[in-house]
Amino acid sequence: MIGVGRAGSGVPSPDRPAGELLLWSEPRLVPAVEPAAPEADRPYWIALGSIPGIGPATFGRLVARHGSARAAWRAGPAALADLPWVAPEAPAAWRRARRESAPAIAAAIESATARAGGRVVISLDRDYPGALERCEPRPPVLHIAGDLGCLEGRCVAIVGTRRATGYGRACAVEIADELARAGVTVISGLALGIDGEAHAAAIEAGGRSAAVMPSPLGAVYPPRHRRLAKRLEATGGVLISELPSGRAIGKPDFARRNRLIAALASAVVVVEAPDRSGALLTAAAAIDLGRDLYAVPGPIDAVASRGCNRLIADHAAAIVTSAVGLLQQIGVHAGRREATVAGSLSEAEGIVLAALLERSGSIEELIGRIKLPTGALAGALTLLEARELATSYGGATFHATLAARNLMDR
Amino acid sequence: MLARTVSASLLGVEGIPVRVEVDVAFGLPSLTIVGLAGSAVQEARERVRSALRNSGFELPARRITVNLAPADLPKEGTGYDLAIAVGILAASGQLPSVPLSLDEVALLGELALDGGLQPVSGAMALVAAARDAGIPTALVPLANEAEAASVAGVAVHAARSLGDVVAHLSGVRQLEPAVRTPLPEARRTTDAPDLSEVIGQQLARRALEIAIAGRHSLALSGPPGIGKTLILRAAAGLLPPLDDAEAIEVSRIYSVAGLTDRRAPLIRQRPFRAPHHTVSTQALVGGGPRVRPGEASLAHRGVLFLDETLHFRADALDALRQPLESGQVTIARVDGVLTMPARFILFAAFNPCPCGWLGTVARTCACDPSSARRYASRLSGPLRDRIDLLVLMQEPAGIEAAHDGVEPSRIVAGRIGTAWRRQLERQGGANAELGVAQLGPATGFGPDVISLLAQRGRRFGLSPRRLHRTARLARTIADLDRRETVTELDLDEALRYRPEAAA
Repeated sequence: MIGVGRAGSGVPSPDRPAGELLLWSEPRLVPAVEPAAPEADRPYWIALGSIPGIGPATFGRLVARHGSARAAWRAGPAALADLPWVAPEAPAAWRRARRESAPAIAAAIESATARAGGRVVISLDRDYPGALERCEPRPPVLHIAGDLGCLEGRCVAIVGTRRATGYGRACAVEIADELARAGVTVISGLALGIDGEAHAAAIEAGGRSAAVMPSPLGAVYPPRHRRLAKRLEATGGVLISELPSGRAIGKPDFARRNRLIAALASAVVVVEAPDRSGALLTAAAAIDLGRDLYAVPGPIDAVASRGCNRLIADHAAAIVTSAVGLLQQIGVHAGRREATVAGSLSEAEGIVLAALLERSGSIEELIGRIKLPTGALAGALTLLEARELATSYGGATFHATLAARNLMDR
Repeated sequence: MLARTVSASLLGVEGIPVRVEVDVAFGLPSLTIVGLAGSAVQEARERVRSALRNSGFELPARRITVNLAPADLPKEGTGYDLAIAVGILAASGQLPSVPLSLDEVALLGELALDGGLQPVSGAMALVAAARDAGIPTALVPLANEAEAASVAGVAVHAARSLGDVVAHLSGVRQLEPAVRTPLPEARRTTDAPDLSEVIGQQLARRALEIAIAGRHSLALSGPPGIGKTLILRAAAGLLPPLDDAEAIEVSRIYSVAGLTDRRAPLIRQRPFRAPHHTVSTQALVGGGPRVRPGEASLAHRGVLFLDETLHFRADALDALRQPLESGQVTIARVDGVLTMPARFILFAAFNPCPCGWLGTVARTCACDPSSARRYASRLSGPLRDRIDLLVLMQEPAGIEAAHDGVEPSRIVAGRIGTAWRRQLERQGGANAELGVAQLGPATGFGPDVISLLAQRGRRFGLSPRRLHRTARLARTIADLDRRETVTELDLDEALRYRPEAAA
């Protein structure tokens, strides 16, 4: 019998909920088993792995006990009876699924995934991501769209809150940009806020990006990121989902997504996270899985950075002081970049940009620092924005962009 | 016997002449009023009956029919009482010798039971309607004398009672014609806060100054308690007074709405209306069975301030599109379409999300991002496109900095007045009302500025409508700086206030 306890549950984190995450963090207790005939076992693997409530850990235990997915499938829902931490809906879901044969279920799942523009990759397949081979329990079935090759090189995850501030967005863009230029694949969760900025900046910089989705391939969540997902796939990146097409998503799917992000990356950077942010789950998983963890500090009065600041204070994460510094810590060389700015800056623009490079701020705050009339300051900011040297990310606070920093470095 | 008198009715804020026909015939004694007469008009029977008796006349015990023509227009109100009473007297032979034809006197007024004349709403519009119909004289209640006399081209006599009117009409005792004097001006209210009370918020101040100077619509977004309402309320103290023509226009609307002080009916102060967010669509744009001017018309030539804009009913906000675009409200009714003027400056103030703290550093927004987005989207579509300036307000950086350069309303109002006069001299109207064809060399736009505007439009993905609005803003910014030529700097500042810059 396999013992289950709270021992070895990773980082001490006050934000860590009990339940499914704890189940996840029992890596040593779920041995990986190679069935004798992988090809014959594939349909059963897919059918069993797609039953709601049977997560990677339960799947691993079932296969370990019965020797193959086929044998486990034959044993039926009764096999769940004496397993620990089985989701309550699993036996009924399995009973429903068994009305059809496993090969029929697998074929239906594979064709549905193909219709959504992807393919099914199981953990027995040759192209199953290598990073996951070394982590248990691992998702038995993945739905993939795009090129898994982008996960073969260096991969770094950038995660953070959906309620990102302009500061968080600016940091996400800067770090993703530097990583992408250095040839690193940027992994994130396709969520609003930090995730979206990181993906977009990596693509913009000409790099590749991998998105681990909380939803099935065909139903991009949030729907506003449909175009981002398409672009990501079209630029050599990959979309990864654990869910078959048509499955409704719930809270645990976000937690599973967060853990998979950490599992796929060699390092995780938390850019901006308040207390109780989902990004802190990714951070916990990163520590659990032995990935390097980095956090971007924020002002001590900024609620949005409280989680990051605490990761740093608890020595759970290494502090990120600059994007270039992060590259050095990770051990990659900064990529090349050309600074291009049309025309020369006016005097007002120069003053405002210098102030922004010193510290981001709202117009209200900039007026206190630089003695320009309000109208002239407002106009200069528009001009800087038009030249892509400053941005407000739709808020009241203005930030100097990467292009501006490069311009000043030269 | 048949008699005809003339009165007038209100339709929206305009008057239309109404003929009152009275037929006194043999038959069972009765008094019937026809011609889509509403309940207040039906009650005229009782008032007229008593007023006649108490003025020393009698209501003939005959079958009396009163028709208000045009008979297909719904009539409301009490202003026909006098015309009905005089008609009955004429039809029953109690008004023996009438030197002037009853067709040539407009009779306006409500009767008290003792025969006294009570004032009516909208006297200015009613008398003007009579004049436009070619009626040379108007008899009005004494309390309406000042308003009625302000209408040129018609002789106005004010009467105290039905007896006065009969004496005048029969030539027994002529009423003095009312002298056209300048209308007494309504008292100005001075409860607007002064700009010096606002802490910091330089950008919002600047935006307010531009908005009022060129009559552009302004929206302030920010956390609760930051001073959005205070700043926008200060606008009431910054608005230049109405000129003569505008004052008459506005006074007529207020008179129709019954909001005028009858002794001092001329409104010189630019209206500042701030309806509560629970206001109904009808109360906002006007309408209802008896069409009355809504807040949009009451704000004509002034400011309509929607505090907590996103809490207004969606259909109410939607109904503001038309006045924002065309400067008037059109109300479709079963019996036709009527329009009321509603050219106002729109001021909006709202929180960026339901909890109000989205985008602030010190506190975290407790809203779900998608609900915050839904909340903000209430503004988009109908209104966002029509807002000229949007300012995202933040907490002042520090109290010391906040007190730097804080100007009192007096100084800002001076600059606004100058900029306003420049617009009138150049194009005879506000910059916000400049037509697209007018945005050219004649209004200070050189080809270089026009092409820069197009370039910025591409860069920021702006619609042609937004570009035109930006050009009008830039024109006002140049006017505030007393320059005839619009420059790149004006344009860039104007673009800073574009609503599209906010997420």
